[in-house]
Amino acid sequence: MKASLSVAAIVAAALTAAAPVAAHHSFAAEFDENKPVKLTGKVTEMRWSNPHGWIYVDVTGPDGKVVNWACETAAVNGLYRRGWRKEDLVKDTVLVVEGWQARNGTPTMNTSTILLPDGRRLFAGAPAAGENSK
Amino acid sequence: MKLTLALALLTALATANIGAQAPPARKPAGPVLRTADGKPNLQGHFQADGGGANYGLERHAEKVGMPGGRGVIVDPPDGKLPLQPWAEAERQARARPERGYDDPTAHCFVSAGVPRSIYTPSPLQIVQTPTYVALLFERMSWRTIPIGTRPHIPDPVRLWNGDSVGHWEGDTLVVETTNFNGKTWLGESGDIISYAEQVVERFTPVDADTITYRATVTDPVAYTRPWTIEMPLIRQQGEILEVACHEDNQDLQHLKDIRDAARAKEKGK
Repeated sequence: MKASLSVAAIVAAALTAAAPVAAHHSFAAEFDENKPVKLTGKVTEMRWSNPHGWIYVDVTGPDGKVVNWACETAAVNGLYRRGWRKEDLVKDTVLVVEGWQARNGTPTMNTSTILLPDGRRLFAGAPAAGENSK
Repeated sequence: MKLTLALALLTALATANIGAQAPPARKPAGPVLRTADGKPNLQGHFQADGGGANYGLERHAEKVGMPGGRGVIVDPPDGKLPLQPWAEAERQARARPERGYDDPTAHCFVSAGVPRSIYTPSPLQIVQTPTYVALLFERMSWRTIPIGTRPHIPDPVRLWNGDSVGHWEGDTLVVETTNFNGKTWLGESGDIISYAEQVVERFTPVDADTITYRATVTDPVAYTRPWTIEMPLIRQQGEILEVACHEDNQDLQHLKDIRDAARAKEKGK
């Protein structure tokens, strides 16, 4: 049990270090590296759009108050190549979303990964050159 | 067993991370493809292994939110951009969050400029005929390159992707580009280019799936001497799709808010 926990910790650490979404703008300008976010919530909408997709997630706080977070991802093509599919992100799907919060303090974040209910963890960034080669 | 699995996963993660890592091993490709006239056939769907060049052409460490870069400058030998003093100051200024709004790519000029359009982390399609080569970028811009000796367009006409003319030197497609508008950044880190930029690019196929890309940039306004970058372009599966950046560009308002807040703070001092 301890072994599998430590393995999980290693993997979690690696995931956290993963690159953010391949953006069309500076990450550092818009998001705060000192505000890592990990939240669990229900999908209210998945916007398959450009230059970024957006997942909107209702997150219930300890006080019972629900906040709708806007979670930025790569553009829709990048998500497709990463294995994201519409049927995985229908309304009310429960997700764990990790990333970094916007500098302006709003419930907006740049997403590094999502964890689906079936245990699949998907990267939110665009694929690098080698991944999609022959 | 679990450890093996974890190591395998970590390896996969490391290669998934757009950054300083070497590209994953690929199957050996066949010989360079040829067109009917014997020229190399460069056509297909490629993506640069830019090694984090879009986040800084010089070697740089990974930061949260910004992939590391292996450094793609092959000349000067020290791998540093030979910036003029004003350009170095400007590059440092662009690192401030409030300057993020000023990067043209934030405004959806996303494949604008040479050589940035090549190493933007997004694929391109090369289409080739005996008289033209076209580069079609997934982020919905393009370059058409006439092959031959036509002169460049008049100097006052200035373009985001410049005016390109190509010719073959053996198996290498050489493309000379001028007439830039000087409005582009060379990456998200704010690497500099001016309206005086001229670029000579060399596309040299090394096997059926790999093209070595070299670009020599001459820009005496921003640099003390010419400099050269090099990286492989790697054939991809499938085809390019589209990235319609103007569809839902919510970031621009966020970046403008950050810029305006910084300006208001400065004014209040």
